[in-house]
Amino acid sequence: MKVDKTLMASIALHVIVLGWGLVSFSSKAFESVEIESVPVDFVTDDQLNKVTAGIKSGKKENPKPPAEKIAEAKPVDDAVGKISEKKPIVTDAAPDPTPKPPDKPVEKKPDPPKPIAEDKPKEEPKPIEKKPDPPKIDPIAEALKKEEVKKPAPKPQAKAAPPPPPVKKREYKFDTETISALVDKRDPTRQAFAGDTLNSAPALGTAKGTAATLSASYLSALVSKIHDCWQRDGGGFDEEDLKIPITLTFKVDGTLATEPLIEVQPRTPRERALFDGARRAIIGCQPYTMLPPAKYAEWKSLPFLFHNKAF
Amino acid sequence: MFRPLPGPPLIGQPLPRLTSPLSRRAFTLAGGVLALSGIIRPASLAAQGGQAGGPARLEIIPGGTQAIPIAVTNFVAGSPADGEVAAGVSQVITNNLKRSGLFAPIDPAAFIERITNVDAPPQFQNWKTLNAQAVVTGRVTRQGDGRMKAEFRLWEVASGQQLAGQQYVTSPEYWRRIAHIISDQIYERLQGEKGYFDSRVVFVDESGAKERRVKRLAIMDQDGANVHYLTKGSDLVLTPRFSPSTQEITYMEFGQGDPRVYLYNIETGQREIVGNFPGMSFSPRFSPDGQRIIMSLQQGGNSNLFVMDLRSKSTTRLTDTPAIDTSPSYAPDGSRICFESDRGGKPQIYVMAAQGGPAQRISFGEGSYSTPVWSPRGDYIAFTKQGSGAFAIGIMKTDGSGERILTSGFHNEGPTFAPNGRFLMFFRDPGGNGGPSLFTIDVSGRNELKVPTPGFASDPAWSPLLS
Repeated sequence: MKVDKTLMASIALHVIVLGWGLVSFSSKAFESVEIESVPVDFVTDDQLNKVTAGIKSGKKENPKPPAEKIAEAKPVDDAVGKISEKKPIVTDAAPDPTPKPPDKPVEKKPDPPKPIAEDKPKEEPKPIEKKPDPPKIDPIAEALKKEEVKKPAPKPQAKAAPPPPPVKKREYKFDTETISALVDKRDPTRQAFAGDTLNSAPALGTAKGTAATLSASYLSALVSKIHDCWQRDGGGFDEEDLKIPITLTFKVDGTLATEPLIEVQPRTPRERALFDGARRAIIGCQPYTMLPPAKYAEWKSLPFLFHNKAF
Repeated sequence: MFRPLPGPPLIGQPLPRLTSPLSRRAFTLAGGVLALSGIIRPASLAAQGGQAGGPARLEIIPGGTQAIPIAVTNFVAGSPADGEVAAGVSQVITNNLKRSGLFAPIDPAAFIERITNVDAPPQFQNWKTLNAQAVVTGRVTRQGDGRMKAEFRLWEVASGQQLAGQQYVTSPEYWRRIAHIISDQIYERLQGEKGYFDSRVVFVDESGAKERRVKRLAIMDQDGANVHYLTKGSDLVLTPRFSPSTQEITYMEFGQGDPRVYLYNIETGQREIVGNFPGMSFSPRFSPDGQRIIMSLQQGGNSNLFVMDLRSKSTTRLTDTPAIDTSPSYAPDGSRICFESDRGGKPQIYVMAAQGGPAQRISFGEGSYSTPVWSPRGDYIAFTKQGSGAFAIGIMKTDGSGERILTSGFHNEGPTFAPNGRFLMFFRDPGGNGGPSLFTIDVSGRNELKVPTPGFASDPAWSPLLS
């Protein structure tokens, strides 16, 4: 049987091309990149409101506590020591946010404060005297250097925090009983900027602090917009100031859900005209797009006082 | 020859209900107009000032002062023959609102929508685009009996509510008065204060060369239209004053002998001398009830104030001083009188009880004060102030505090209050070969406007509201 050479050549070519494609198009495995942790202090809404809200019995001369927390904090200086006091836990994934990763190979480093050798300069006596065992940073780097000299990983310490004598890694076996062992029990090395106790000293609050329990930026934008829309009508020469309590109920898109609720009855035709003027301004000014939908619960219904200051 | 100017027979009634739900609601709200006449008594404003408990309120103050932007549409003509009157009504309303300074009528050239059916609400989006806060629509139709029916509706653009709606029936020649009445309705609904458009002004019309000026008593609408002459000009007339309650005026006329105070009935054209006093009688003015006239009587080199009851003709002396007491004016409640006297040296303003008695000086500024006139609202006294080579028009509170000069110049004199106390009219003489003209000014000192008159004009006196 005669074989068609061109057919064979075609098949061969297809096989080659497809084979090459299978190899070269294979995707790389997804590499998870470790993200450096950033120190964050959580302040809950409640705590913030406690700090910003005023109370009527507060002292006037002390309008607002200068700081949100009472600064009786732990000293910063034993950050390193604390870590080494704890028994190191060997784990595969225990992150060690402590030291700043040295970017350069360690042997280059003439860093005096790092106690590589025993004859350390005296400028930093604390860690040496208190804790004679050498801090682990540099030994780690040394160990790493031995293992992978050419490639100084960006975060070599993050992988593990072994004690000076490198211990064999235990084989990981999932054991629900020992999950707690995986948790990093070391004290955090970062320090809060201030104390961890909220300053509960009462104060009268500030002008913005009295605005319900809301953070004020969008509220001031709202007030500013209505202020611009609401114009005196020029009537009522020499009339008294008038304050009109009005509650507005909004939809989530910043438009009014209902007519403005004017909570008092006008006593005179002039007052009625002023009420109407405020109402027209409120209706004509919508939508109030500065109101963030995410915080709808906060501004769904807001009480206002329209103060028609006489001209 | 002057013809009496009877008031037009007017039938004012609310417009009928509309059929659409929106319109029905609008008319319900229009019923709020009743509150203006005191039928609906609002509850007390207990929570006023935000004193009530509850959460802290966000305080907002007005961003500025702005005349209310309003669109006065061309009134729809019931038939082609009514077109001119319909357009005229719209024009007079627009002019009134604009001259008040408290409204900013929108140029009709910018209108997007042309109103053809006044029984349906306008397309409010079209008016919102123009920033109009209110829209006025209306219709003028000729009835079978020849009378004219005028309807209007005042719409609020923001809410789509009808704020006011009325219809009037009258003789076609009184269409201007209808326009003034509608203007007052709009003013009153949107400003919450009484209007002043349906009123007239009596003044001294001056014509001829400066040396031989002919002075005639004349009357016109407050906007300068419909001028009628009440006297022929053979005798000199001065200081006309309107009765606050009747269609009468009182004025001083130099006849053959001494100047006399006259009473003139506008409707009948009859006139009579008030009292028969030896010597000069001048600067008359009505009491608030229109039943008495207070005036100055000359006695030797002095003059004192007297009041005469128009029914009983009995005369009562109010002052007895060796000084010139003149230009008396009643407070609107009739309890007190302000007047001008030079008993302290220079002419100053004094206030005393209406029955006479001790007078209290209230003007203490530099210069001299004259022609005091009490506001119909009772809150201010307007005056002419002379000093530093200028004549100024000003106001002060009735205790003399809060003096405020509204305008000043070579010669300004004779202020008279609009019926709502918000505006003043006075006359100004620029000097030279010219003559005096009438001006209006807001009591806040803004919006000074010349009042159109056929010739020179002086000594204006504003009437009360006609309706």
